Amino acid sequence: MTDKKEKKIWTRRDVLKASVGVAVASATPMFFMKDAWAEEAIGNYPVKGSTVKFGFNVPQTGAYADEGADELRGYKLAVEHLNNGGGMLETLKPSSLKGNGVLGKKVEYVTGDTQTNPDAARTSARRMIDRDGVIMWSGGSSSATAIAQQYLAQEKGVIFMSALTHSNDTTGKDKRRYGFRYFFNAHMTGKALAPVLSKAYGKDRRAFHLSADYSWGHTQFESMKDFTEKEGWTTVQNIMTPLKSTDFSAFLTAVLNSDADVLVLNHYGKNMVNSLSQAVSFGMRELQKNGKTMEIVIPLYSRLMAQGAGIDNVEGVYGTTSWTWKQKDAGSQVFTNAFTKVHGFPPSQAAHVAYCQTLLYANACEMAGTFYPPAVIKALEDFKFSGTGTGDTLYRGEDHQCMRDILVVQGNSKAKSSGKYDLLNIHATVKADAVAYPVSTFKGELGPYKPA
Amino acid sequence: MSSANSAFYKKDLLPVATFAVVLLTMPFWFKFIGGYSGLDTKIVIWIIFAIGFGILLGYMGFLSFGHAAFFGTSAYFTGLMLLHFSANILPAMVVGIISGIIMAFIIGFLTLKRTGIYFSILTLAFGEMLHSMVLSTLQDYTGGDNGLTGLPTPMLFGLKMQGDNVFYLTVIVAIVMYYIARRIIRSPFGLMLKAIKSNQVRLEYTGVNVARYKLLGFVISAVYASVAGSLMIVYEPYVASEFLSWHLSGHIVIMTVLGGVGTLFGPMLGAAFMLYFENVLSVTMGEQWLLILGAVFMLTVIFLPGGFVEGGSKIKKKLMGGDE
Repeated sequence: MTDKKEKKIWTRRDVLKASVGVAVASATPMFFMKDAWAEEAIGNYPVKGSTVKFGFNVPQTGAYADEGADELRGYKLAVEHLNNGGGMLETLKPSSLKGNGVLGKKVEYVTGDTQTNPDAARTSARRMIDRDGVIMWSGGSSSATAIAQQYLAQEKGVIFMSALTHSNDTTGKDKRRYGFRYFFNAHMTGKALAPVLSKAYGKDRRAFHLSADYSWGHTQFESMKDFTEKEGWTTVQNIMTPLKSTDFSAFLTAVLNSDADVLVLNHYGKNMVNSLSQAVSFGMRELQKNGKTMEIVIPLYSRLMAQGAGIDNVEGVYGTTSWTWKQKDAGSQVFTNAFTKVHGFPPSQAAHVAYCQTLLYANACEMAGTFYPPAVIKALEDFKFSGTGTGDTLYRGEDHQCMRDILVVQGNSKAKSSGKYDLLNIHATVKADAVAYPVSTFKGELGPYKPA
Repeated sequence: MSSANSAFYKKDLLPVATFAVVLLTMPFWFKFIGGYSGLDTKIVIWIIFAIGFGILLGYMGFLSFGHAAFFGTSAYFTGLMLLHFSANILPAMVVGIISGIIMAFIIGFLTLKRTGIYFSILTLAFGEMLHSMVLSTLQDYTGGDNGLTGLPTPMLFGLKMQGDNVFYLTVIVAIVMYYIARRIIRSPFGLMLKAIKSNQVRLEYTGVNVARYKLLGFVISAVYASVAGSLMIVYEPYVASEFLSWHLSGHIVIMTVLGGVGTLFGPMLGAAFMLYFENVLSVTMGEQWLLILGAVFMLTVIFLPGGFVEGGSKIKKKLMGGDE
């Protein structure tokens, strides 16, 4: 009852106080959000608080789990260096990174499991975007997951820095404004590898392909076919093998029964470990066909896979790779040293691409002076840099594909290997100019800077 | 007319209104238990799916292991319509749902002659057939393992179907579908379904055309799956090949069993619990969450064969102090 009475009586002073209070309260957000007016909210921009969150979405289960684990190590190291300095922050040129976070905000991260499955990858990515409020996310492997996530990035207005994805489609027919690729692609592999193969094995070879049945396998097969046929090779047959296969003996029997004298394994991760091991146990490396010794080619190589297959199985086998810890340039050296110090073994190409993509995104934010996605995208487009172990590199603006050096490698032999991580020998470093291709090679549109 | 009305007030008003209020206010309370926007929509979509599955398993007594076939077919056709015809969701959803229904007639016609495990295996086989077709033979149209990408932002007469718009559309559909399900269960037709569950042969001897009722029950269940599949694409304009796989079929079975077979409420509860568990609780458990989910499922099946609903009524009985 007393309450009621007091509330009824409003003095002039109370009214004044209240109105001032209301005015201050309602003006406060405008004061703090002053900057937000110029650039409207897109995705999880503007970033609130003193930290900024990245998402790392990698396969923790499935055929590419080993690669995923190493990517995660690369990401964690990148966050460590962004916050505290060190690593490639010293070698990246030009660099705007200060080693105190990004734009003064400490970097935090969340992780997710893509299960090497596009749907799971999208679910996990959406969780990071909706629940955790990440400003950027990155991940791989498998091009199918990368492509699915790229479309999500465009819808949501959150930048996706893809890591392990080698399909031509990622920056070809499925390229997106919000997706960026530092890794190379199947087309570049074909262009770099085919001349080496024809020099080593001759121009009259007959090739049988086994390809993983999804985006990457398809484009990898097509690129290898195109470029080897230009060298004079004949393509006997291609079999698409399901990604989940572990037993390849039925497919390998078909190879044995054909008149092919080269086996091209367009496989990656555990697929490749299994198909190669089985091919070797079928005696394919000693087999004589058409008066020649049968050869095996692995277009996309990684140290982790060579490790899984065993050094005896990969000895002398040609392929391409993005990067190895044996490179002598300053950027590769600081990264390898920092990584080895933490984990006790050298990083793989998966860790390298994960690490570089995180740094490149952070650097673009510093260059743009904001996390506003369209500004960051513009900073990344046509960004020229060096010091990351891939020579003079260009983030091509028209398709978001990095034009960079790639390596043609050959499996090491036990006698020459310096240890259990010394599995690949660099046969040649193919310069960016030699593997570059016109944007018009592939169809596709990037889409708008602001999400629909 | 008036009798129908009074039946509504007596029997449906309270549950349907409660259901509506809980769902409509979800954006406000969901964040307090760790939820986030986007997940709420997904939960409601799965609730629709679960209602339909509950009708088939709980009332008609048929365990389908291939319900992904309807969810996925509808999703793919919705996606293809959005991609090639128009970004408007109405024609896309209509075509999607009709395609799911046609699929249900075909699969139902071929499988419903069998019961029990044979029926389950047959539906599983059909589901997996569709899944592998999408991945191999139909790759050029479905995008294969990449899924169907590049769909436009779904629109409803100039309204962008994103965020809250999708959520409220989904909730309205869910409320209507829930009400319809209640009416179906209470109708003479619903009684037939229950009769089929308890003794199909006896029912046949009384002169009832059981095959026709079974097919209709199966198709109704598939309609719910198709609606859910179609809404999934509106919610997230991307069709994953996963939508046709046995994973999804298995998921809905687990949800239904966990929540409680033989009720309408149980499967819905199971669906909400599973998604909440997968997306919110899993964070605190780290990598062990699948193991814990497995344990929860096992314990439920062993000690509470009637699912959460049975657990709830047991607790209620204890609290009320009533002993049987």
